[in-house]
Amino acid sequence: MASDDRPAQRVPVEERLFSLVLALLATETGLTKSEILSTVQGYRQSFRAGGDNANLERKFERDKDDIRELGVPLETVADPGDPGNNQALRYRIPRGAYELPDDVTFTPEEITLLDLAARVWREGSLSSESRRALLKLRALGVATDEPVIGYAPRVRVRDAAFEPLSTALERRQWVRFDYLKPGESAARERHVAPLALVQFEGRWHLSAEEAGTGAIKTYLLRRIVSRVTTTGKTTTTPLTGQQEAALAGLEEIWRNGVARVRVEPGTDAATRLARRRGAAAQPDGTLELHFVDAAILADELAGFGPEVVVLEPSELATAVRERLERTVADHADA
Amino acid sequence: MPTPRGPRPRSVQKRAPLLAADKLTFLLALVPFVVDRGRVTVAEVAEHFDVEPAQIRDAVELIAVSGVPGETSTYQYEDLFDIDWDAFENDDEIVITNLVAIDDSPRFSAREAAALIAGLQYLAALPENTDAAALVSLTRKLAAGASGEPSQLGVETAAGDATLALIRRAVARGVQLELDYVTSAGASERRRVDPLRVESVDESWYLRGWCHLREAVRTFRLDRMSDVVVTDEPIGHDAADVPLPDVLFEASDDDLVVTIDVAASAMPLIADYVAAGASLEERDGVVRTTVRMSHYHGLKRLVASMPGAVAVVAPEDARRAVAEWAAAGAARYR
Repeated sequence: MASDDRPAQRVPVEERLFSLVLALLATETGLTKSEILSTVQGYRQSFRAGGDNANLERKFERDKDDIRELGVPLETVADPGDPGNNQALRYRIPRGAYELPDDVTFTPEEITLLDLAARVWREGSLSSESRRALLKLRALGVATDEPVIGYAPRVRVRDAAFEPLSTALERRQWVRFDYLKPGESAARERHVAPLALVQFEGRWHLSAEEAGTGAIKTYLLRRIVSRVTTTGKTTTTPLTGQQEAALAGLEEIWRNGVARVRVEPGTDAATRLARRRGAAAQPDGTLELHFVDAAILADELAGFGPEVVVLEPSELATAVRERLERTVADHADA
Repeated sequence: MPTPRGPRPRSVQKRAPLLAADKLTFLLALVPFVVDRGRVTVAEVAEHFDVEPAQIRDAVELIAVSGVPGETSTYQYEDLFDIDWDAFENDDEIVITNLVAIDDSPRFSAREAAALIAGLQYLAALPENTDAAALVSLTRKLAAGASGEPSQLGVETAAGDATLALIRRAVARGVQLELDYVTSAGASERRRVDPLRVESVDESWYLRGWCHLREAVRTFRLDRMSDVVVTDEPIGHDAADVPLPDVLFEASDDDLVVTIDVAASAMPLIADYVAAGASLEERDGVVRTTVRMSHYHGLKRLVASMPGAVAVVAPEDARRAVAEWAAAGAARYR
C-alpha cells in the first residue's frame, strides 16, 4: 500500500513478519538490511533515511530469529566482491527450502493420527510447536477423517530443566547444571553438551556428552537441582540416532536391572506390580521386576507399605526399609 | 478394527488464543489452502483449521493488504494480494484474485517435526497402530518435510496391553464392560462400566467411564483392572451426555483435606493432588499446602512413595495412617 503511512506501532507484529517473509521469498538475489528496513511494511514506517536506525535493526535481528524458529529458512548471502562487509550482506528465503517438498503428502488416516500425536503435548513449547505443525498440515487441504474419539493421551513435561535443555539441544549449546545423584549428600556441577531428551518409564532423561571425558552419560531431569545455564560454547557432535540410542541404552539398563519381590495376594501391589511391563511371576510365587534406577523403584515399592517385600537385591531391600523408616520418623509424634 | 469417530469435542477442548508466531504460521498456511480451493467459506476454513471465524476474517483482511515492495519499493497495486471483496463482505467467502510470493505450504520447523515424531512414538502401541511400517514411513515424511534435522526428542512407546484393546473394542461398539477393580483400599469389586474415554498420563493408562455401582463418572487405572469382559449390553451413558473434565481426578465435597509439607523440588510430582486455590507458602525450600484425597488409603501410599520429600502435618488421623502404613511396611524386613 503506497499510501499507507500508519505509525509503525500500528502495524501488528504478524503483519510485519508476514511482509518480511513475502519480501524475502520474492527476491532472487536477496535484499540488504538497509533495503529491508527502508521498504518492507512494518519497518519502513519507522525508518529514518540517513539517521540512526539502531532500534529498527535490533527489531529486524529478533524478527529473523523468530522466523527461523518457525522453520522458515532465512539465508544470509555475503557479497562476493565485499565478503567482510556486514552492510553488504543480503537476506533471502530460497523457495525450494521454504516449501514442503511435493513428494511429502499425507493421507486422511495419517493426518488423523498426527492430530492425535500433536494432542499428546499439552504444556510448554512442545504444545505450541505441535499446534503450529498442525496448522501447516492443514494447509495441504487434505480432508481429514473425523478425529479419533475416546482417546486423550498425554505426555507430561513438568521438569523445570526441560525447556532450557530442549532449547540448548536445538541450538547445540553446552550447558551447566547441578546434579544430585542418589546416595550423594551434595549436588555436583555437570558440564555437558545435550544430545537427546527422552522419556522412559514416564521420566525425562537427558543424554549428553560430558566435557573433558567425551563420555555420553544419561541424567534424570528430576535430579537437576539448579537452573540450567548455557556456556556460550557450541558442539558439532552428530545428532542422528541419538534419541534411539538413548532409549535403547535405557532399555538395556532396564533389562539388566532385576529385582525379586513377594507381594501379598489380592492387594493393590499384587495387581499393579504384576501388570508392570516385564513383570514375571516365578514358580515359587515371587515376582521378578525390571528397573532402570534402584532409588526410584525403592520409592515406588515403599509406597506399597506392607503389601510388598523385596527379596533381591539386598541393597534394594535395604533402600526400601530405610525409606519406610524415614517416613515413620517423619510422622513419629502422631 | 474400525476406529470410532465423531465430532470434535469442542466444548471440552477450548481453543487457545493465537500468539504472533501462530498468527504468522496461520497466514502462511491459509494462503496455499485458499488458493488450492479457489473459493471457500469462512465457516469451512474455521472447521478445517479449528480456528475461530473472527480470526479468519482478520487474517483475510491482513492478507488482502499485504504484498512485496516490488520494483518500485512502494507496494504498488500489482505487488499486493487481492481478494474478491464482494464475495468476502456479502457471502463470507474467500477468493484470492491476486497472489504474491507464496503458493505452497511451508515446511515444518525441526522442533515441530520432532514434537509430532515423539508423539507418534508414544502412540505406537495403541491397538489402532499395529502397522509399524506405516509409522516409520510417516516419521520419514515428517523429517523430509522439516527445514532442519528434527531434534532428538524421544518417548518410550507406551506398553501395548491386552486390556487396552478390549476397552477400545467396547468403546467402538458402544457396549458396557465388566471388570474386577482393586481400589487403593485393597478391596476388589466386580464393576459394570460404560466406557467413555481412554486417557493416559505418561506411562499410566486410565479409563474414564460411568460406573453403574457408584452411579457416577469414575476414573479407573488400567493396571488395577482384571478379568475384563466386553458385554453385549449397550451403554447407558455416552461421552456426549456426560461431560468429562480435563482433570483426571475431580474434587468432591466428601474429600478429606490434608495439610502437608513438600520439598519445593517435589512439588511437580504432587501437583495433581493439590487442592484448587490451596496456599503454596514456601519457607526454606519447603512448601506447606493442602491436598484433597477421597480417603487415607490413597494418601498413605502417596506419602510413603515420597520419603523425605512429603510429610503430613494435619490432621492427626492422617499422620497416624501414614505412620502405621510405613511402620507395617518396615516391620516386614525384621
